[in-house]
Amino acid sequence: MERKIGVYICECGPNISEKVDIDKVIDAISSIEDISVVEKYKLLCSADGKKFLEEQIKKQGLTHLVVAACSPKEHEKTFMEVCENADINPYLLQLANIREQCAWITEDKDEATKKAIRMIRAAIGRVRYHSPLDKKEIESNPDVLVIGGGIAGIEASLQLANTDRKVYLIEKTSSLGGLVTNFEKNFLGMKPISDTIDKKIQDVKNNKNIKIFTDAEVEEVIGFFGNFEIKLKNSDEEGDPIGFNVGAIVLATGLTLFDPKNSLKYGYGEIDNIITSLEFEKMNKTGKISLKNGKPPKSVAIIHCVGRDEKGYCSEICCMYSLKFARYLKDKIPQVKVSNFYSDLCIPGKTHQKFYEQTKEKNVDLIRFTDVGITKNKDQLNINYKDENGNKKSLLVDMAILSSAVEPATDASKVAEIVGISQDEKSFFAEAHEKINPVSTSTEGIYIVGGAQGPKDISSTLIQSEAAAGKILSSLVPGRKIEPEVKVSHISESFCIGCKTCISVCSYGAITFDEAKKVSVVNEVICRGCGNCVAACPSGAASIKHFKFNQIYQELKEAVK
Amino acid sequence: MTEKKHNADVLVIGAGIAGIEASLMLSKADRRVHLVEKTSYTGGTTIKFEEVFSNMECSTCMIAPIQQELLQDKNINLLTLAEVEEVKGSFGDFTVKVNKKARYVDMVNCIGCNACFDPCPVSLKNEFEEGLSERKAIYVPCAGALPNIPMIDTENCIRFKGKKCTACQEACMFEAIDYNQKDEKLELKVGAIIVATGFNIFDSKNLPKYGYGKFDDVYSALEFERLYASNGPTEGNIVLKNGKTPKSVAIVHCVGRDEKGYCSSVCCMYSLKFSHYLKTKLPEIKISEFYTDLCIPGKSHQKFYEKIKETNVDMIRASEIEVTKQGKEMVIKYNNGSGKKHTHSMDMIILAPAIQPSDDASKLAKTLGIDLDEYGFFQEKSLEDSSVVSSKPGIFIVGCAQGPKNIQDSVSQAIAAVGKILSPSE
Repeated sequence: MERKIGVYICECGPNISEKVDIDKVIDAISSIEDISVVEKYKLLCSADGKKFLEEQIKKQGLTHLVVAACSPKEHEKTFMEVCENADINPYLLQLANIREQCAWITEDKDEATKKAIRMIRAAIGRVRYHSPLDKKEIESNPDVLVIGGGIAGIEASLQLANTDRKVYLIEKTSSLGGLVTNFEKNFLGMKPISDTIDKKIQDVKNNKNIKIFTDAEVEEVIGFFGNFEIKLKNSDEEGDPIGFNVGAIVLATGLTLFDPKNSLKYGYGEIDNIITSLEFEKMNKTGKISLKNGKPPKSVAIIHCVGRDEKGYCSEICCMYSLKFARYLKDKIPQVKVSNFYSDLCIPGKTHQKFYEQTKEKNVDLIRFTDVGITKNKDQLNINYKDENGNKKSLLVDMAILSSAVEPATDASKVAEIVGISQDEKSFFAEAHEKINPVSTSTEGIYIVGGAQGPKDISSTLIQSEAAAGKILSSLVPGRKIEPEVKVSHISESFCIGCKTCISVCSYGAITFDEAKKVSVVNEVICRGCGNCVAACPSGAASIKHFKFNQIYQELKEAVK
Repeated sequence: MTEKKHNADVLVIGAGIAGIEASLMLSKADRRVHLVEKTSYTGGTTIKFEEVFSNMECSTCMIAPIQQELLQDKNINLLTLAEVEEVKGSFGDFTVKVNKKARYVDMVNCIGCNACFDPCPVSLKNEFEEGLSERKAIYVPCAGALPNIPMIDTENCIRFKGKKCTACQEACMFEAIDYNQKDEKLELKVGAIIVATGFNIFDSKNLPKYGYGKFDDVYSALEFERLYASNGPTEGNIVLKNGKTPKSVAIVHCVGRDEKGYCSSVCCMYSLKFSHYLKTKLPEIKISEFYTDLCIPGKSHQKFYEKIKETNVDMIRASEIEVTKQGKEMVIKYNNGSGKKHTHSMDMIILAPAIQPSDDASKLAKTLGIDLDEYGFFQEKSLEDSSVVSSKPGIFIVGCAQGPKNIQDSVSQAIAAVGKILSPSE
């Protein structure tokens, strides 16, 4: 079909017309070959302007459209819609931004006019090489895999499951509930944690749409958002491996504690009656706090920030749970002397300081240290510390509790590898955007919640689980098809030399290697069109739709001619 | 929601980053959203920041794309200059009355060229810029505000005080100025409500010892944010009131913490960010940060702190801080941990005031019929369960309206509230 390009220049009231001599522009452009029509209009984005444009496309029988107006950020969508209404493919449009990038910033009218001509010529040069791109639709599976049966995984499962959607909850241990089942109370309200977690576990078990696998692990994940194929390590009754399909995955693999054995100064594992915070939680939950010899301690030191220097971050929850420990102790052994050794008190949020003050009132000593270590002193322990002025001091106690830093669960790296997401430098799962996309990952359809994403308390964990559920419920709707990005990468089979450079630079796991043909292959459903592979490809085999070499080359050529 | 005939539409109150995120997510799920915003613009407090901690990403670059998406989203009915006046009904069936004030500028015809500003004869302090620059009676709060459509401040416009001025109308090429617009009373039917009304900062004038409002170069955190902002009153030049460049700056953490009774959770981090701002623009500047306890929770924050410390910022644990004048010099007096008194002269003092509920939180709580906590934030139903669930079914509280928090946690809560609304188990 013969190419018929229409060029429409928006005056944007005085915004463009005052700085750009539009009639001169029309003169300069009209003579270009295969330009059917060049016209100006007062305000193309107005209702009348859009109608005018739509009628023009139809009346002139245009095949391609150039609009010289404002930034694509403002109105690219507007003019793409006009194209659709006029029955031409919206990707056969090119916008020349002669307002923000020309009229508004170029003082001299002659200069601005010349620049506008170049910009429009560049747009024409480019649009000649545009190809129509069609939206695709693919079926999606609304079911969800949740990895980790702690409170994060349980909350996510409960928020997701209903008659239209199945949830597969995979827990590697033999029971649900995770870390919090070891706790007696939650520090916020000092109420029994079992009230919350036991009910949630029961709800998960009673929910017919949640299929629970305990003692189970995921072996393989292939596919993409809307269509993941999952294989478990476990087998069914007939001995066949268990597999199923889901549309999204929630990773709730939780956290573990920094092992104080890695820091010799605390004497952990060497000296009796030095226990970790988790060991203390467990002991407290049995109802009896006692020393190795079975007697209750008369004095206890709670050491904050154990492993903070080694990990390189503040674990956010230790100050609060250490204060909770002081309360546990005072509740169970009223006469016990409790000393909390802290470096900086980190008690952020509206409810925490009050808890701190209430704890202090119970006669708990709060001692700031700049350095701390533990040595044995007969049957007791010496807490050797430097106070904030650097003075060396010591305190004799019966028992020491080490409030250890939190770190990702031991198998986080393995899980990250299986599902194909990245970890940050601290080995927590990396979010898509730290601020505005904290539960998503760079792989669409895979979400991260709770301690697996970073240190956090139960309240924040619940929020993240509900947030991941929100992400899934809004994007993976039963019966709704998924529309993948259309401006995706393509790797030419004949040019690819099989070096796999593209695979190493793809952030989305969208490229695989065809071992038979020895070439890289783009999965167009996963590709987001970032262009990394195009930039990195040494053989010129990778190109990106709508940003092909020739399209950019022709645009630049005209701009600098 | 259950099989009952619930209204699927949602009201979101507040178009800051939490409200925007919630609205976009709901729209994605094909829900119709009414987004009610008190001011003339979207983006809330986040758009006042030049950069956000801890990766020092440009704040506008982070939020502008989602603001733009919001404006183009056909499922979202953005109502600016609007306030909720009455709420009746229950979860699934709320009737909401909204008062939408006239902007006097037509949102369709106006293209945001700003031609109407110059001829306006009125000039007054720009509240968005914390009073550090002036604006006209027809104005947008700052360059790049979205929607990029001015409003007429009728309290100060001389036409609305009876004069015959039509300066802005004459300057407009698009017939966008419409003096005849009227305030509208709207009635909306929704099934659920998300409250994302944000926060305010503690007024440092309540604590005379810091010299705020008394001495020229004592700034609140928000004032300093605008002073550094490239679209702010000085286009990002950090200058003293006398036009000179500061050589020494004190950043005081925890201002108002004792009075409020809680740690605001973000001040240590943004104070460290301020050091970064200052060192970027003025590498030679001497900075002292006065803190009580360093609260930098989370996996990525300590690294930022260590980076800042390397740039020669003095971190001083201090108490009994007082800002006074000795002759012409401003001095800061403090007690360090050892009980010793110190005095340093400072060109500039930046205060990091506590986060507190926004001024109209209690009024809104009454309108919505939800509880406030002892600090005046919206109260969650239970400390043991989801913090976005308010005391009234169907009303969810997110972001700093629920309690002080950073952007990540605000956004998480916003999406969590959407999860709650879309969840079949609710």
